[in-house]
Amino acid sequence: MPSLAALALPLAKVGEVGESFFHHRTSETLPCQATDKLFCFDWAKENIGSYGTPTLQHIELVVFSVLAGLAIAFTLALVAHRRRWLRGPLLGATGVLYTVPSLAFFFLLQPITGLGRDTVIIVLAAYTLQIIYRNAMAGLANVPTSVRDAARGMGLTDRQILWRVELPLATPEIVAGLRIATVSTVAIATLAVFAGGGGLGQKIYTGGGLTFKTNIIIAGAIAMLMAFAFDLILFAIQRFTTPWRKARET
Amino acid sequence: MPAAEATDQGSSAAASSVRYENATKRYGDSAEAAVEQLNLEVPAGEVCVLVGPSGCGKTTAMRLVNRTVELSEGDVTIGGESVRKRDPAQLRREIGYVIQAVGLFPHRTIAENIGTVPQLLGWKKDRVRARTTELLELTGLDPELGERYPAQLSGGQQQRVGVARALAADPPVMLMDEPFGAIDPIARERLQNEFLRLQAEIRKTVLFVTHDIDEAIKMGDRIAVMRKGGHLAQFATPAELLMAPADEFVEDFVGADRALKRLALMRVADIDLWEAPLAHVGQATAEVRAKLQSAEVPYPLLVDSERHPLGWLSERDLAAETVPARPDSPLGPLLDRDDVMRDALADLLQGEAQYAAVVDRQGRIDGVLSVEIISEFLASPAAKVDENSAVERPRG
Repeated sequence: MPSLAALALPLAKVGEVGESFFHHRTSETLPCQATDKLFCFDWAKENIGSYGTPTLQHIELVVFSVLAGLAIAFTLALVAHRRRWLRGPLLGATGVLYTVPSLAFFFLLQPITGLGRDTVIIVLAAYTLQIIYRNAMAGLANVPTSVRDAARGMGLTDRQILWRVELPLATPEIVAGLRIATVSTVAIATLAVFAGGGGLGQKIYTGGGLTFKTNIIIAGAIAMLMAFAFDLILFAIQRFTTPWRKARET
Repeated sequence: MPAAEATDQGSSAAASSVRYENATKRYGDSAEAAVEQLNLEVPAGEVCVLVGPSGCGKTTAMRLVNRTVELSEGDVTIGGESVRKRDPAQLRREIGYVIQAVGLFPHRTIAENIGTVPQLLGWKKDRVRARTTELLELTGLDPELGERYPAQLSGGQQQRVGVARALAADPPVMLMDEPFGAIDPIARERLQNEFLRLQAEIRKTVLFVTHDIDEAIKMGDRIAVMRKGGHLAQFATPAELLMAPADEFVEDFVGADRALKRLALMRVADIDLWEAPLAHVGQATAEVRAKLQSAEVPYPLLVDSERHPLGWLSERDLAAETVPARPDSPLGPLLDRDDVMRDALADLLQGEAQYAAVVDRQGRIDGVLSVEIISEFLASPAAKVDENSAVERPRG
């Protein structure tokens, strides 16, 4: 992906891209790396330790941005739930955010928030809004009218209906939204490196590796495992918080 | 809520009368009101059925009571107190609410569903648990179901839970909006009977909405027939309604089969049954044959030592020396003395049977009901003018 590498160059000084870039060039003498083998085990064994910090950074980026996205999207959903007329505009607004290309987003934010982790979190969180908002709204809309009617008729206040009836019933959809948002955030977060946000992207976009792919494979595998692990955790939460859905299946 | 406080042990808080005073509901600027100048009073402890074609405003009228629909003009009072002066949420916690779609909370167990209002009222956990168990038993459900989720119950069971949930805080007034409308006819009949039995015990003031005149006649102490535009066409007891419809609209609505409908006002126990020629296992058939000579029913009924009916004996059974343990013909429809006459007739017709054994509450034989008895009753002048037996609603 030469175009990405070209884009990365202006930013290389800020992030850690440059480091591995030069490192790669100076270790050209190693036999496996010089060839275009798909995977170099010796290199992997030697360098696996260097993935620790990027992996932790990556997890941090994902967790913070999804939590921020959840907080914002959830609030928006609650507001729109009460004020129907806001539903369309909010869906549109989060939709527009979703369409902005990530690199463009980084550059647009650069004058305001500079480069670094915070900028990345803002961008990643912005991407999750549409998914989480949409799912939360769908979840709230799926609450059966009869259930709402019964709740009201028994003397639950609007607030009690929301927190004791509507939100618990919308939980499966909300968590489903979180799962999609989290998995896609793990993937998009590899671009954080272009905004100096660290993460596994450092190991993928090293700038030089068209022939050398071992680093890309390792980083990619870690990202995939991470996405899978997050999804599994959220799936467990979904199961745990909605025992009544399991009951329906039996 | 002192009423509930004092009486959650027993099952009868003092019921309150409900009174509509020129109650009117208008939506927006529309010329026609949904409910127009409604005046009626439901005495404490009675079931008032609001009945009429769809769009007649019956549900709206019912909802004015718990303020899920707000009055435009006039007033509704419960026990003399205007609902307008009450906080809606507080008011609703004192009014049982049952709807056609039940609306159980899918994410709460049956016990939690039933405990909803007590929990809102701040009852202690033990008290809620005791009340839940009591209500499950009262509505004929296994208390073990308390741990299940609504999706694991049948439609009929769910509706029972709906009734139990509405009764949880022992409200003096109950609103029931087509509560048995979504249930298959057989289960509906059973639920109706059970509710009447329950109501005889708890004596709530009930506002019951239905579009089914038969259900209205069966369930109501009084019936308010409404017509489009929210007008009250007639407010009367079921017998009055059947005998003297106020106008053509009511007459049409009640239907041409008014005499037949009167059957819905009677219990099996209200009619003179035939005596069953009883036979016991091992009895000499000659003895049984002798009994048949004078009996109105041409077949002997096999009963056990407790007089529980087992089945009908056929000619072939009687050909033997002694009465066999397994009768040739199955028992067919088995009726209860408390069954409503109309349902009893339906059971007879459905079972393609001429005769049905009628048992008392202990399941012991009481007599035999036949299609002939019913048709004789319908043909007799008593069916047309016997006001007394009809007005006195037989209640368990």
